[in-house]
Amino acid sequence: MSLVSAAFLAFVAITAIIYYLVPGGARRWILLIASLAFCASCGFYSLVFVLLEAVTTFIGGLLCGPDKKKGLRNVSAIITVILNLGILCAVRYYGVIGMFEESLNQVLAASPATKTFMTYVLPVGMAFYTLQLIGYTLDVRWEKTAPEKNFFRYLLFATYFPYFTSGPMNSYADLSVKLDGSKNAKFSFDRLRDSAIRIAWGFFKKLVIADRIAIIVNNIYGNHETYTGLYVFIGAAAFAIELYADFSGCMDVVLGASHFLGIDLPENFNSPFLSHTIREYWQRWHITLGGWLRDYLFYPLLRTPAFIKIGDVSKKLLGKKKGKKIPVDVALIILWAAVGYWHGGLMKYVIGTGLLHCFYIILGEIVEPVSVKLRKVLHSDKLPYKIFQTARTFFLVMLGHIFFRAVNVPDAIEMYKAIFRPFAINGEWIASLGLDTSNWIVLFASLAVLIAVDIYKYREKQEEAPRLVLEKIASKPLVVSWAVFMLLFIAVLVFGMYGLGYDSGAFIYARI
Amino acid sequence: MTREEVFVKLNEIFQDVFDDEDINVNDATTAADVDGWDSLEHINLLVAIERGFGIRFTMGETTGLKNVGEMVDKIMAHLG
Repeated sequence: MSLVSAAFLAFVAITAIIYYLVPGGARRWILLIASLAFCASCGFYSLVFVLLEAVTTFIGGLLCGPDKKKGLRNVSAIITVILNLGILCAVRYYGVIGMFEESLNQVLAASPATKTFMTYVLPVGMAFYTLQLIGYTLDVRWEKTAPEKNFFRYLLFATYFPYFTSGPMNSYADLSVKLDGSKNAKFSFDRLRDSAIRIAWGFFKKLVIADRIAIIVNNIYGNHETYTGLYVFIGAAAFAIELYADFSGCMDVVLGASHFLGIDLPENFNSPFLSHTIREYWQRWHITLGGWLRDYLFYPLLRTPAFIKIGDVSKKLLGKKKGKKIPVDVALIILWAAVGYWHGGLMKYVIGTGLLHCFYIILGEIVEPVSVKLRKVLHSDKLPYKIFQTARTFFLVMLGHIFFRAVNVPDAIEMYKAIFRPFAINGEWIASLGLDTSNWIVLFASLAVLIAVDIYKYREKQEEAPRLVLEKIASKPLVVSWAVFMLLFIAVLVFGMYGLGYDSGAFIYARI
Repeated sequence: MTREEVFVKLNEIFQDVFDDEDINVNDATTAADVDGWDSLEHINLLVAIERGFGIRFTMGETTGLKNVGEMVDKIMAHLG
């Protein structure tokens, strides 16, 4: 079931009605039934793999508990992590689900209708799901949280439907408290209004911005022999915006739906394209993935004997100050390779969203002494310099996105080469990008709204800035706040990209 | 090892990790009081403490410490 669909809205509404009608103690069961139904809607085999991972990590958690012997705890944790990463790899890269479908089709001699159904059996969200469950296993082993002894409580944490396909990622310690709190959640029109605005904002970003700008992206990336020079940059910038509007729009729908049920999930985006540095960008883009990798990969790596040894040797060779950066940089390379690999397991992702960003960060550290002097000369506290920093960060991210969106690494290299080929900007070529005048106007107007909201959030400089926009709207008279919703709703209906063969479910990150 | 002895040794580790001989930690010291004590330097600090005291923290113990006093409590617990 797509998150951007009338079916999903109806699903949330029906779940919420039952949820608020039943006694508090029964609400967890309503959420669990709804979540399993949602998983099943993603395909029968997806449900099988989801349950397989849930059962193995649940048992693994029990065996990792502090009441067990240390040897058993270590072995259980290692086996659980390897097993679940293995399941993820098998599903994603070796087409295990496809093999199941094939054999079932042969057994059943499936009718065309069945085959069509099977085509849509995709393990959506398996990467988010697997990492979150591995996080639980490690939390238990590291004694950050106690093992859950009730399988159904655990299953709800694993499959909670708003975040099941695309995150955000949650730790068991945080989410279990929130799910427990569901018994005290009270329906209110304020909650309904806030959720409706947040969901409508998500639909707006996905249907009005992402799917409109995708037409330009698809044209340029599909014909980079024709679109050279500046057009490559236009394509790369357009894809960066598409990806942001697509993924953050998806998160708005998720967070809005969950807020309606009285369960507030962590924010995943906070005006990333206004960041001044690459490091800041990653503190604002896909925040919960960054937190997961930091807590479960980066910091544990730095505490291993091998990395401590690297630190000792590098301090002897380079001195204390420079030497202690070496193990951090080595861990960063591993971290960024993991980030890239997680995005799709192909070299284009490892380079474009991983190692290239690692290179930026390490290069930034190397030239830091020069940068400090430069910042003094260029009055870094003034607005023009800050605008320059934001533009520079966007440009660097955009260069990485050429790899992300290209078919493969050779295709991306061809696009880089195309930057240096001659080009001409004229009315015909701009029109050939796929949008007519009215669509260009809609695109620019909607982008202006997105940028204005992001600037407002960025100026607040708070972690929960995205919620502040809702609070600001909520502080206005009732008529004004509902008018905001109606405006978004009408904009989605009138300007949303709908057409033959249109698949609103194709969130870019839901394919990960 | 007494609590006072732990503090003396811990203070030396802080001075070494943060390269500042003027650091003088006490029960109430937090990351905000020590220049450069960010999350990354916290890992370096933990590694130095583990090595200095011959102990091993679990990952669960390394997060959520409110101040140096709580850190000393953890060290004392490991030293038995």
